Amino acid sequence: MSGQRDHGVFEAELSGRNFDARLTRRLLRWLLPYRGWLLASGALVVGASTLAVLMPVLMARVVIDGVLLPASTSAIEAPDFGTLELAHAFERATGIPPLASACLLYALFAAGWAILGHLQRMLLARAALGAIRDLRAELFAHLETLSASFYDKVAVGRVMTRVTNDVEVLLELFWGLGMLVGEILPFFLALALMWAADAQLAALLLLSIPITGIATWLFRRATRVVYRKIRQSVSKLNQNLQENLSGIGVVQTHVREARNLARYEQINDENRLEETHAVHLEVTYGAFVDSLSPLALGLILWFGGGHVLAELITLGTLILFARYTDLLFRPIVAIGEQYNVLYRAMASTERIFQLLDWQEEVVAPERPVRLPSRLTGRVEFRNLCFGYEPGHDVLHDISFSVEPGEKVAIVGATGSGKTTLMRLLSRFYDFDRGEILIDGVDVRQYDPRDLRSRLGSVLQDFHVFAGSVRENLSLGDPELSDAEVETAARLVHADHFIRTLPNGYETDLAERGANLSHGQRQLLTFARVLATDPEILILDEATSSIDPETERLIQEGLHRITEGRTSILIAHRLLTVQEADRVIVMQHGRIQEMGSHDELLARGGLYRTLYELQFIEEAA
Amino acid sequence: MGALLRLLPYYRRHLGPFWMGNGLLLVARIFEALIPQLLKQGIDGIGAGAPALGLLALGITACVLARFAAIWVGRRAVRKLGVEVAFDLRNRLYEHLQRMGQGFFTRYRTGDLMARAINDIGLVRRVVAQGTRTVLVLLFSSAVAFSFMIAESPSLTLLLIPPMPVIFGIAWLMSRRLYRESLAVQEGFSTLSDRVQENLGGIRTVQALGQEEREIARFAVTNDDYLDRNLALVRTNSLLAALMPGLGATSVVAVLYFGGLRVQSGEISLGTFTAFVWYLNMVLWPVREAGNMINLFQRGAAGVARLFELLDTEPEIADRPQPGVPERIQGDIVLEGVTVGYPGAEVPTLRDVTLHVKPGETLAILGRIGSGKSTLLRLLVRLLEAPPGTIQLDGHDLRDYPLERLRGQVALVPQEPFLFSESIRENVSYDDPERSEEAVEAAAVASALAETLKGLPSGLETEVGERGVMLSGGQKQRVTLARALVRAAPVLLLDDPFSAVDAETEAEILARLAPLRHGRTTIVVSHRVTAVRGADRIVVMEEGRIAEQGTHLELVQADGLYAALERTQRRRAQLEHELEEQEDALNEQEEEGQP
Repeated sequence: MSGQRDHGVFEAELSGRNFDARLTRRLLRWLLPYRGWLLASGALVVGASTLAVLMPVLMARVVIDGVLLPASTSAIEAPDFGTLELAHAFERATGIPPLASACLLYALFAAGWAILGHLQRMLLARAALGAIRDLRAELFAHLETLSASFYDKVAVGRVMTRVTNDVEVLLELFWGLGMLVGEILPFFLALALMWAADAQLAALLLLSIPITGIATWLFRRATRVVYRKIRQSVSKLNQNLQENLSGIGVVQTHVREARNLARYEQINDENRLEETHAVHLEVTYGAFVDSLSPLALGLILWFGGGHVLAELITLGTLILFARYTDLLFRPIVAIGEQYNVLYRAMASTERIFQLLDWQEEVVAPERPVRLPSRLTGRVEFRNLCFGYEPGHDVLHDISFSVEPGEKVAIVGATGSGKTTLMRLLSRFYDFDRGEILIDGVDVRQYDPRDLRSRLGSVLQDFHVFAGSVRENLSLGDPELSDAEVETAARLVHADHFIRTLPNGYETDLAERGANLSHGQRQLLTFARVLATDPEILILDEATSSIDPETERLIQEGLHRITEGRTSILIAHRLLTVQEADRVIVMQHGRIQEMGSHDELLARGGLYRTLYELQFIEEAA
Repeated sequence: MGALLRLLPYYRRHLGPFWMGNGLLLVARIFEALIPQLLKQGIDGIGAGAPALGLLALGITACVLARFAAIWVGRRAVRKLGVEVAFDLRNRLYEHLQRMGQGFFTRYRTGDLMARAINDIGLVRRVVAQGTRTVLVLLFSSAVAFSFMIAESPSLTLLLIPPMPVIFGIAWLMSRRLYRESLAVQEGFSTLSDRVQENLGGIRTVQALGQEEREIARFAVTNDDYLDRNLALVRTNSLLAALMPGLGATSVVAVLYFGGLRVQSGEISLGTFTAFVWYLNMVLWPVREAGNMINLFQRGAAGVARLFELLDTEPEIADRPQPGVPERIQGDIVLEGVTVGYPGAEVPTLRDVTLHVKPGETLAILGRIGSGKSTLLRLLVRLLEAPPGTIQLDGHDLRDYPLERLRGQVALVPQEPFLFSESIRENVSYDDPERSEEAVEAAAVASALAETLKGLPSGLETEVGERGVMLSGGQKQRVTLARALVRAAPVLLLDDPFSAVDAETEAEILARLAPLRHGRTTIVVSHRVTAVRGADRIVVMEEGRIAEQGTHLELVQADGLYAALERTQRRRAQLEHELEEQEDALNEQEEEGQP
């Protein structure tokens, strides 16, 4: 049964943990189908990083040590990681002078690095975007299975942002993590090379890493507090503005403009204070990070210079170290940036999985009864009781039957249970007391979705599906010919206005849906019923007022679609009631009166009073 | 991009920090450019075998510290500018929006205005804080680095110039593509959101008609399209990230080769050669950032355009007070042939309405929905503007009064009760929070709010929640009435303020108001005959015109529209009463039927 769940969790903020291994593992499953691309991307990262790290070697060891300073350095053993040999081989192969050939090699490395990097990023993007696309598709498909009881209780906006914004945060995470690899790998490669070239100097430089790490950690911790305060003050600003705009008439007639502005300025000032604080922190950290690399340069010159003089390393190696300083501090800064994304992504992941794990549907039987190719259309309600929440029944012991081809109108005040009755027939909610039979079979033995395809539901408002008028009428049934669709439209007088649309039957309704009048929408739903030809019609009539001309068209259309079809009409207009063979009067979830319109009027009971009130409304 | 010039006045207010900040950032670049100089001396010193390494390292540290200090102060000043401009713009926008009239708020929905206030001010802030700074810094960087390079070796520097226009040209073209593609991604995202919202909005129909599979297939198309748009953007971004340093490498190769030749020939030292490589980084930095910059500026310009579109709108209701209007309003209201319509509507809402309300008179206006009753009241507080000279208040054109005086003394109770999410007291005393306790309580009694308050644990201090959700419709209407009564205004306009309570309660509250109405001009609008029958005079409106007027008795005798409305409403009340009795009877039967 529905109703026992706590839908409040959809409104609540989730725990917002920092890192959750279980969530992460589950998240990675969506990347699994793209592991080939990810692996290839990883291989390319290794290639690109190697080239990136070797380019300074080429400059420092081959050009400077090898070509420009050969005499002074030949005595010193310094690693060149195969670049010298490669350069000599290249020189022999091309036959050009050493300097030119080294420069050419450098250019080739740069080109290789650019190409590999681009390919790597594209593979990574394809994998990340693909995984995100799949996750979205799965979420959307899941939303389609959730039952009406779910959508009754949760705010649609909140469900929507899970499919849109929360998934978008994950894209940022996947992409960010992928790019992080591209920052970290060159760092370790460079470190290894530096270690091989001068372990002492490398160790000295490494000392600065923890200092940077601590500074980054402190910065992130401080900004998290400030950013939260900023978010709070911004939401206060927005709330104030929104409320003021909504009540602008009251504001103006009460001459409150000056006071309101003063209050807004005060909140704005609080915000300015926090923003300034954030700027202060960001600038301090930014200036610190920017200083690291040139500071390291000083260290290298001082310490490394000593090693050169002591002939422990070559001058080229010193320059090599200097070239690497940029690579040293980038990963830490990048990790700091990713930290905020990770934090947000965990909260989003939690929300996404909460939705994916939410099982709330009308259960289909294990072995559903197959529907016959054509139902005769007899509907019977037997001792039906129902409540959305336990202990609060809205339907009490409902029993009546509708014969094949009969038209029954149900009338009653708002809250009398008419709509609930129809929702149960359409299997939007499960019930366990009483029965609803169609052609003598309990509706719970059919697959709900099969059953719904045989019930033509005309709800209060015509829902426009994305697509053309034609698609909206045929609902994508491939067996319906264009001519049949147009005949259906003609029979309910919808053909005329459809032809006045810019592209006739091919007009995209999603863009124009908003411009259709109420009456036109109603006619379209009628055409849809005629075209799809369901055995049983359920119509929940709209209450809005319509001009007399359209009213006449609708009346004729209604007559047409109910002809020879079992029809249950929730009626709000007199003409519709008069159309029915039989009228059922409901009140407080019970059937109070039943009979033909004339019989009930003559009886002078509840129906007569309702009728007269309605008549006065329509006449007024 | 021209739209950005509109921001100049906002800069002008902070010129001191602007020049100071940017000046310091220039100083920081100079210190930055000194570092390769020291590196050069170090390398050359090592080559010569007599370096002052400690001194040089100290020099580098000093440069770093000086640069840090300059950046720390300068960058803060410039970024703070963004905060300040956002602060100023927010206040200005708020102040401006409060002066706008009905037409404006029909054109711009609250959601749209909120989006502009949040997103567009955010964009402007980023342009001011980062855009200006980065552009100047990049220019400084290039310029400073170039100067140092020319000082070192003019001929080598000249070799670097030819590829530059090519690099900048490509950066420019690519970033324009980037901008287009990022717009396409944003559009794709809103299409995606629309599709989900549309589907969830109609989920009952989707399920009722068994359309789940088709909807999933439709969503897949949008979803795939969004992926393609993203991929295109990533591709351009990635190409830019590959091409810019790739092209930059040609300059590095040029320095390596031609610089190398010069070192070999002894024309320049190895130190100079190394310093060149470092300066090259500074010169090429703007190239790498160009894409981001152009994007930032284009989006910022769009944000500025959207903001100033609002700020450039003149208030529809101009406040142009004329001398000679009285301080204290008596409430003699004359309308002469007033015809007004809402923009875009085909037929005017009010047609040729002529009416004279004497001071102290209670006038009632009766009519169906859409007959123009509310419009008439809105004209009197100038929420809507009537043609000049058609409405006189105490013998002066309504437009000659200062808005503040007019609205301060003509109190309107609107049809839709709007409450702010504050306490009941703050809502009642909305126009003047410092009002005395007695005045607020008296208003609560007169508006029948006092009874409601007794049932609330915190009484007047009860928080009503957003738009007053904690209160019922009738309670909200009472608060709104109290809010008007507390002002003791000489003219009171009631726009169907009791639609949410039944006719009897309405009549009762109105009867209670009778002593308060004494000496005040009161206009009551209602669709209920019971609410208007006690008035000094009743005006019946239909389709924007005055159809009938007179006292209750006169109108009933005239047997026109009023009499017809009176009969229908009486019959309806009777029927509703009968229906209630029948329902009660049925309920009793049920109860008896149950053991």
